[in-house]
Amino acid sequence: MKLIFGGAYQGKLDYARNNYDIQTICDCSGGAEPDFSKDAICGIEGFVLACAKAGIEAREYFEKARDQWQDKILIMTDTSQGVVPIDKDVRAFREMNGRLMLYLAGEADSVERVFCGIGKRLK
Amino acid sequence: MNIFISGGCKNGKSYYAQRAARDQTLKLGKPLYYIATMIPRDEEDRARIRRHLSEREGWGFETLEQPLNLTALLDDPAVDRSGVFLLDSVTAIMENEMFRRVDGLKGNSETEIVYDDTAADRVRRDMEAFAKATGNTVFVSDGIYGDMGEYSQSTEDYRKALAAADRALAAVCDRVVEITYGIEEIWK
Repeated sequence: MKLIFGGAYQGKLDYARNNYDIQTICDCSGGAEPDFSKDAICGIEGFVLACAKAGIEAREYFEKARDQWQDKILIMTDTSQGVVPIDKDVRAFREMNGRLMLYLAGEADSVERVFCGIGKRLK
Repeated sequence: MNIFISGGCKNGKSYYAQRAARDQTLKLGKPLYYIATMIPRDEEDRARIRRHLSEREGWGFETLEQPLNLTALLDDPAVDRSGVFLLDSVTAIMENEMFRRVDGLKGNSETEIVYDDTAADRVRRDMEAFAKATGNTVFVSDGIYGDMGEYSQSTEDYRKALAAADRALAAVCDRVVEITYGIEEIWK
């Protein structure tokens, strides 16, 4: 699995498209469940937000589905910077997103961070 | 060489940018310009400007006040476009252009904020054009994309617009640098 992350609006999906052979994409930014039959899954943080609202631990969801995303490109937004949010639910989401990213970064064959449309391999 | 610099607040971007601009001037033997972009609103802003002015003292910068309409500098006969420019910051110009302050709109003395939805594309194109026309500009922007993004619609539009300008600049600039507490990370 390849993990691509970065801040909001940094061009993560464009970067993935330009560097990998991606024919099909599942966009989870609106909260949809990942469809691991696609080549790339983007906007994973949107699914995490839906998980946080439903009381599901996103990391556990990915652990259970581990066999399905081994050859996929996973793309998500880093929301870990900045001030701790006042809202309890947003805070829970932010931490859940961090836990999932930490797990996926550990599992990934490669981890790339995108900054202003430019990618850099961290792992 | 066009250089794009971004990073967090109070991380040393301006100082790094000043050195990068001055080094280019020394190498090229060209005039050194500082493009001042802030429209001061209160005493806090004026204090910030005074601090930046004292930080630039003795560096040889000629200050050009251009908080709006950046490309007008290219048509100014008093400005040598082959010189070295330090534009600090892209963030401020985008804000000034998107959220225009207009006095006395309602016939009174109050300042109104008028949102200009054409600014995002225009500023992005202006930045690209300025980089291409000068060839020796150091652009400073701000990395405001790593947090939760729990903002109002207009602020979110602004983040999106600035990110698009940043990406366009990163694509045309020869060097892209992220500064973290004074430490450089070269992205390009």
